[in-house]
Amino acid sequence: MTRVIEVPAHFDDRSFDSFAEGLGEWPPEEKLLFDARGTQWASPYGLIGLLTAGQALAESRREKPLLTVPVADEVKRYWARAGFFQQASELFELHGKVPRATVTGPSDVLLDVTPVRASEDVHSVVDKISEGASRILHGELGLEMKATLRFSMALSEACQNIVEHAGTSGWVAVQAYTFRRRLGRRVVVIAVSDAGVGFRRSLESTHAKRFGERWGDGAALEAALIQGVSRFRDPGRGQGLAFIKRFLDQWEGKISIRSGTARLSIVPPWDEDVPLSERLSFFPGSQVQIIIPAQQERPQ
Amino acid sequence: MIETIRIGHLLREAVSAPYRNLVTRPTGAAVRSRIEEALARSNCGTAMLDFSGIELVDLSCADEVVAKLLLAGRSACCFVLQGLREDHHEAIDHVLSHHRLAVAAVPPGGCEFRLLGWVPPDAREAFACICDRGPLTASDVSRALGWPEVRSREALRQLALRRLVRPAGELYHPLSTA
Repeated sequence: MTRVIEVPAHFDDRSFDSFAEGLGEWPPEEKLLFDARGTQWASPYGLIGLLTAGQALAESRREKPLLTVPVADEVKRYWARAGFFQQASELFELHGKVPRATVTGPSDVLLDVTPVRASEDVHSVVDKISEGASRILHGELGLEMKATLRFSMALSEACQNIVEHAGTSGWVAVQAYTFRRRLGRRVVVIAVSDAGVGFRRSLESTHAKRFGERWGDGAALEAALIQGVSRFRDPGRGQGLAFIKRFLDQWEGKISIRSGTARLSIVPPWDEDVPLSERLSFFPGSQVQIIIPAQQERPQ
Repeated sequence: MIETIRIGHLLREAVSAPYRNLVTRPTGAAVRSRIEEALARSNCGTAMLDFSGIELVDLSCADEVVAKLLLAGRSACCFVLQGLREDHHEAIDHVLSHHRLAVAAVPPGGCEFRLLGWVPPDAREAFACICDRGPLTASDVSRALGWPEVRSREALRQLALRRLVRPAGELYHPLSTA
């Protein structure tokens, strides 16, 4: 039997929970069909979340899922331009006409959907992003020049979390777009996702005892993001997320991490998200989203 | 004697690719082990780690290369960083402060030291005093800063412990860069 999972019409971090809910008990017994025909828009978080679902099914030795591609031409073209179909073709049986990816001049896609499997991939990602990042962050978003390097650092640290902790590979994508409803400003979004063990299992052997009965996905996220702990005993570990958090404070940026059944966010004043959501539907691995908004001119 | 170690060269050797970004822990660890190999062959008093040409230093690499080199303490030499850009300072300062370590850095073509990381406030002031005036005894520092001698001695001990000054008899010398 094949079960249909509807991909939300507007597929981003907000609608992701309903997407995860659709997956039900994990790992699903039936063959899955991801129906994206009606999808009108997907953020980088949505796109790599979808790939993560496909990857997790493959790693759970489930039957290769089906994916029906969006009907809307411009949506399909964007997905192709973002490199989604190229990666998805290995994980899904694609149904529907897939356009060829074409690039014409500078794009808002700063980094295509890119697999992160090893440290060398992190090097490539950081190398690839540097030029475009400066154009968008400094040129469009009005951030100081040194922001470009901090941004690359954040990207590097977020990708390394996959290599160091996930126990499997993952994905990264970076894009600039306008947050019309939430913010009314341009933003750059880094999305990183993997189908690995998640924060709880990664930290369990070294930190669960300290939390006692409170231990769970939410507590593990708190330990990593707020307290800067790591599964390694090396005292130099755990600084990456702390640093990202510090510079996002300066730029009124947002970081949110979903792992297992919880999501923890550092919420800037412009957003209405809740800091911690627990008892969400399970989704494999970890999903990180970093949002950096255009800077507003401060009154003299 | 001063030995200059070009981090850019070691990076290219370590990753066998023309990357200019010092990122990821495995890369940092590989670069550090090459620095240690170079120092094992040298009897230098000061090792200048030259970061010229490096585009980005992320926290993982700052930790693997600089913090772990200082923590290991395998070499008897003092370390000075040069060729750093402002954003490199930030990453290195962050990880060293986390470990309560410190290192001296000189700007490209300059000679004025900047301390990165953490030292007690008195030690920071004594460091600036020695860099400004040249070799000083604890009594000289006391006179210059209006401190009791015991305070100067402790500040200088902290600096010597971190190899941020070179003690020779009663005198404490600033680090040399040339």
